[in-house]
Amino acid sequence: MNTHPRHCRNYVLYASLAAAASLAGCATQGVQNPAGAPVTEMRPDERGRVAGTGVESQDMVAVTDKMARKILEIPEIANAKTPPRIVLEPVVNNTRFTVNKDIFLTKIRTQLNEKASGKVRFLDRAMMATLEREQRLKQQGLVTATADPNVTEFRGADYFLTGTLEGMSTRTTQGMSDYVLYSFRLTDARTSDIVWESSLDIKKEGLEDAAYR
Amino acid sequence: MPRPPVRHALRLLPLPTNSAGIPAVLHPLSSVSSSRLLSPVSCFLLSVALAGCTTVPTVPVITYTGDPIVDGKAQLAVAPAKDRVLWQYRVAAAALRHGQDAEARAQLDDAQAATAGALAVSSPEAARARSTFHAESDKPFIGEPYERAMADYYRAILYWRAGEPDNARALYRDAELIDSDTAEKTYAGDWVLPDWLDGYATARLGGDGTDALARARKNSAHPLPDYDPAANVLIFVEFGRGPRKLAGGEYGEQLRFSTEPSRAVSARLTVAGQTIALPPWDDVGWQAITRGGRVMDHILGNKAVFKKNTDTLGDVALAGAVIAAESSRREKQRTVIGPDGKKRVVTEVERDRGSEQTAVALGVVGLLAKLTAGAAQPTADTRAWDNLPQYLSFAALRLPPGAHPATLTYYDAAGQPLASRTQMFTVNIPAPDPTTISDAGHPRETVLFRSEVPD
Repeated sequence: MNTHPRHCRNYVLYASLAAAASLAGCATQGVQNPAGAPVTEMRPDERGRVAGTGVESQDMVAVTDKMARKILEIPEIANAKTPPRIVLEPVVNNTRFTVNKDIFLTKIRTQLNEKASGKVRFLDRAMMATLEREQRLKQQGLVTATADPNVTEFRGADYFLTGTLEGMSTRTTQGMSDYVLYSFRLTDARTSDIVWESSLDIKKEGLEDAAYR
Repeated sequence: MPRPPVRHALRLLPLPTNSAGIPAVLHPLSSVSSSRLLSPVSCFLLSVALAGCTTVPTVPVITYTGDPIVDGKAQLAVAPAKDRVLWQYRVAAAALRHGQDAEARAQLDDAQAATAGALAVSSPEAARARSTFHAESDKPFIGEPYERAMADYYRAILYWRAGEPDNARALYRDAELIDSDTAEKTYAGDWVLPDWLDGYATARLGGDGTDALARARKNSAHPLPDYDPAANVLIFVEFGRGPRKLAGGEYGEQLRFSTEPSRAVSARLTVAGQTIALPPWDDVGWQAITRGGRVMDHILGNKAVFKKNTDTLGDVALAGAVIAAESSRREKQRTVIGPDGKKRVVTEVERDRGSEQTAVALGVVGLLAKLTAGAAQPTADTRAWDNLPQYLSFAALRLPPGAHPATLTYYDAAGQPLASRTQMFTVNIPAPDPTTISDAGHPRETVLFRSEVPD
């Protein structure tokens, strides 16, 4: 004899489903992607999955690519009979983002050294203390020298290359907006003329998850 | 009026017993005993409920050493991923106070990168925190705006020490921006020191910091000094315990802050014949409470309403089940003639099958509503960076090269020195070194950091 008529079984079924659904929340204390996510190799000019509104690698690549190309086009470089000597001065960060300031100039310098075929030379002022020490050792005869160590051969700069990062940020309950102006300039060391200047501006907007607003 | 818990509500169901003392009131639904129906349902629901709640991960035991950095890193090592930033913040503050700059820098950089990532991309965990059946504390912790601003403030001190005032300035600007979307615009971007230091860094870099100085003066309760471009010592001082988070409201859905009044309300530095006043330029507790409502507060409010409504629905359904169950039984007396020929009055129970079915249905609905209400999690996230200070102070001064004995004295609200908290130390000013010239040609500043906040 069937002692569980259909409607009784339905009650049990509905109750079970509803209970399971309502209690599902209690059982999800676990971690999403407990094994983590595999490392993904990306190009530095590619916008990553965790892109924010700040200064990122793709911006740096875009900026330095443009600046390196433009520097080679200016007459003072392109038409110079002897390669001009350039000294890099630290970039001034005037945004709300902390940046590794050296990375911009290092990238520009390496690109120019790779592509300019000796049209420009960079002076390694970061090595000056080491170079001076070495020169003193040569002058004292403690190490060998291939040229007269008493003749100063450290070159002076023809141009200074530097830049600034200017920023403008807005934050409201509607989201975040960041505008960054990257500008670089080449200054004549003798006359203080700015012989070249170029800029690139990038604007980004984003809206944070409501859980954080 | 407090609502009866589910267990209590279940007991309200009438359960008269049969001759054997076994509950049997709802039995004749048709040919099946209601006790046989309810029993498996109840057992199933209870087993599901209990099974669901047994998956809470166990917390590893930490052996405490008393060293806040060692203990904090031990906690960090075993903390769930969602709490990593919280522990990194705590370790960073402790490391900064103990002069372990590299540790503080590493923890803050990692925490700030994680925070930027969490803000840039909505994670599944953050999305879940918005759902009715998950707690807000399921989201990865990145801190409330005042906590993120303090992370910027601490990291900026380390940038100053590293001779990068422009990166320090970037973080002061970020701190003000984080605070700029307050509900009440009067309190938007009203940190004093970040603005003052923004302008100071600008002046040190050869720019014009007067706008930032004007903003700082507008928000300051105390007269702020002008910039001294020849200052070579920066001292950052903090005192008092920072704000705590509490969950208020009927279901804990309202995030509230509480700051224990600090005994120390100001400080004074005596060094090389100079006495430098260190008033509380910023109050972190004030910054916590002047944010106004969050978007998340509305979500938690909705969760609380859902919880309340489903709970009420459960109450009503269970009460209806009781009424329906009682109305399904009707006693009727009639006179019968027994085998001995005598008349007797007997009581019979008539059962209304429809009412019984209604009682069961309402009981199930009520039970489910109660369970659903119980599963809703509207409680606000009260995880807090709990070793923050209440007050921030700062001064820039000039000192010649050499070792200078210094005394830092804290004062209570009555202006009395707190002798037990006096700190004596030596300020070492190195001779100017041409290899540590900052961007604008200034010698690198000596940056001091002193804290009255206990470990």
